[in-house]
Amino acid sequence: MSLAPLQIAVLGVIGLLGAGFYGLLAGRNLIKIVVALQVLVKGALLGLVAAGSVKGQVALGESLAVTVIVADTIVAVMGIALGVQIRRRVGTLDVKELSKLRG
Amino acid sequence: MSSLPAFVWMILVPLLAAPLVYLAGRLDRRSGLARWPYGLTVLALAAAWGAFVPAAASLARGAAPAFRLGAVSLQLDGLGLLLAAVALSLGLCVALYSGPYLQGEPGQEKFYALLLLMIAMIVGLGCATDLFNLWVWFEAMAVSSYLLVAFYCQQPASLEAGFKYLVQSAAGSALVVAGIALVFGVSGTLDLAAIGAAAGPTPAYLAAGVLFLVGFGVKAALVPLHTWLPDAHSQAPSGISAMLSGVVIEAGLVALLRVVGALLEVSPSWPVLLAGFGALNMLAGNLLALRQTQVKRLLAYSSVAHIGYMLLGLAITFASGEPLGAQGSLFHLVNHGLMKGLAFLAAGGLLYGLYIAAGDHGPLQVADLAGASRHYPLAALALSLAVLGLGGLPPLAGFMSKWQIFVAGFQSGDPWLMALVVFAAANSALSLAYYAPLINAMYRLEPSARVAGGRRLPKVLGLPLVGLGLAVVVLGVWPGLLDWLTGPAAGAVLSSLGGSF
Repeated sequence: MSLAPLQIAVLGVIGLLGAGFYGLLAGRNLIKIVVALQVLVKGALLGLVAAGSVKGQVALGESLAVTVIVADTIVAVMGIALGVQIRRRVGTLDVKELSKLRG
Repeated sequence: MSSLPAFVWMILVPLLAAPLVYLAGRLDRRSGLARWPYGLTVLALAAAWGAFVPAAASLARGAAPAFRLGAVSLQLDGLGLLLAAVALSLGLCVALYSGPYLQGEPGQEKFYALLLLMIAMIVGLGCATDLFNLWVWFEAMAVSSYLLVAFYCQQPASLEAGFKYLVQSAAGSALVVAGIALVFGVSGTLDLAAIGAAAGPTPAYLAAGVLFLVGFGVKAALVPLHTWLPDAHSQAPSGISAMLSGVVIEAGLVALLRVVGALLEVSPSWPVLLAGFGALNMLAGNLLALRQTQVKRLLAYSSVAHIGYMLLGLAITFASGEPLGAQGSLFHLVNHGLMKGLAFLAAGGLLYGLYIAAGDHGPLQVADLAGASRHYPLAALALSLAVLGLGGLPPLAGFMSKWQIFVAGFQSGDPWLMALVVFAAANSALSLAYYAPLINAMYRLEPSARVAGGRRLPKVLGLPLVGLGLAVVVLGVWPGLLDWLTGPAAGAVLSSLGGSF
């Protein structure tokens, strides 16, 4: 059985979204959570590109994807920046430890 | 440049002013007073009001001002104007307020620049006509709000709240992108109107609808997705709490509304979903608020409940096609912005006097309010007015808009909607159970040691409180004053549903 490119893309989207969500829920390290967020967005990005190619609007799909990459990078940078601040002020990156601190 | 429609300046003025404010703040850094960024911010928002007036006038004349630059297409309609009015009025109050409130804090230039940016993005979000543009405005608004939530970057609690907000909000926005990809892949277009014409009850559109509901629902604080809200609202500087609660979650609601309007044909159960989330939001928000001991957390949970009333009004319009429910709901959106803004700013005033002026960033407890009316008569009065309005006591603004929603529910004649209206009224009464102790503490208890030793409030801090307080009373006595704003906005909602108004 061979898969059509579209099927591969759809499987890829579902797989990336699933992996991202798993990482978000299971991750305990703040940096790993930001990485999981990135994986999640990459799934959505693959979807955008695939959608563009399905409808014969490859350029539009890709330009949307580039825009999302820009926004997503800003979010990742901010997430890491907050992570760095938390590590400095609290001394841990562990989510469980953080919520314990708040009491 | 004169060919630009007036409403574009509502976006451009704050957007262009933001980097200037930042630069001015960097140059003026050593003084530590941030006079320049403060002044420029207030000036820029006042100038944006200058653009608001002709924009509103042209809309009232029946024009549909639109603007197109490459792939960015904007069109002003009633709903966009309403969102702009709330964002600009609350934004101006918050900017005025934050001058004295933030005195001596490091990084004020960033605060003002991001505040301006956030306001510009909210106004833009209201005017977006294209699904992807809508997402870009939405994301830009979210990005500018993350750092504002974590503004007190010395405080672990603020950092944690900011991170939590960022993660939940970014995950939601990734889902929205996935939904956009799905809609784009099926329909081949991103224009909301064209999507509305093409959409049908197929699994792909249905899945996209769910993705949008969850994605925008995070920002609009639909109940199982609201967990970021109490942390973010209570840890942010009070002005930002007011903005988040009064405008940002409502902007999420408007974005959701735009998308639901386009995907209306996809499922017959949108009204049921909206009403269901409405009921859940009211119940969960009120019950959780009852348990809070911190004033700002209490107010944050009350925002969750108030989103429920707005959803109920919208559900009534979606079910019956009558504009009254949406009009009441949008009127409540404006009123909630004013009342919750007032509540957070007044609570922030007390927080400033009791904690921040002394360099303490601890949370304001309900117990700290004891006897606050003796030392802080203005802030206590403003907070009381705000919470009574939120609780829906006549003749304050909150009563009028809730009343309008309830009347719409009964006029629809649907037994389920009528039952929900009764449920909402019961919830309103329930909410007084946590508002009343605040007023009781402020007016009937003897001043606590903390209140007796509190600092005086700067005069400028009181200015927005007076303005918002007057607005809450005046709109309660003459609710018709805002019909020019809420009527066309309800019409815009209705026309996105395919009805005529």
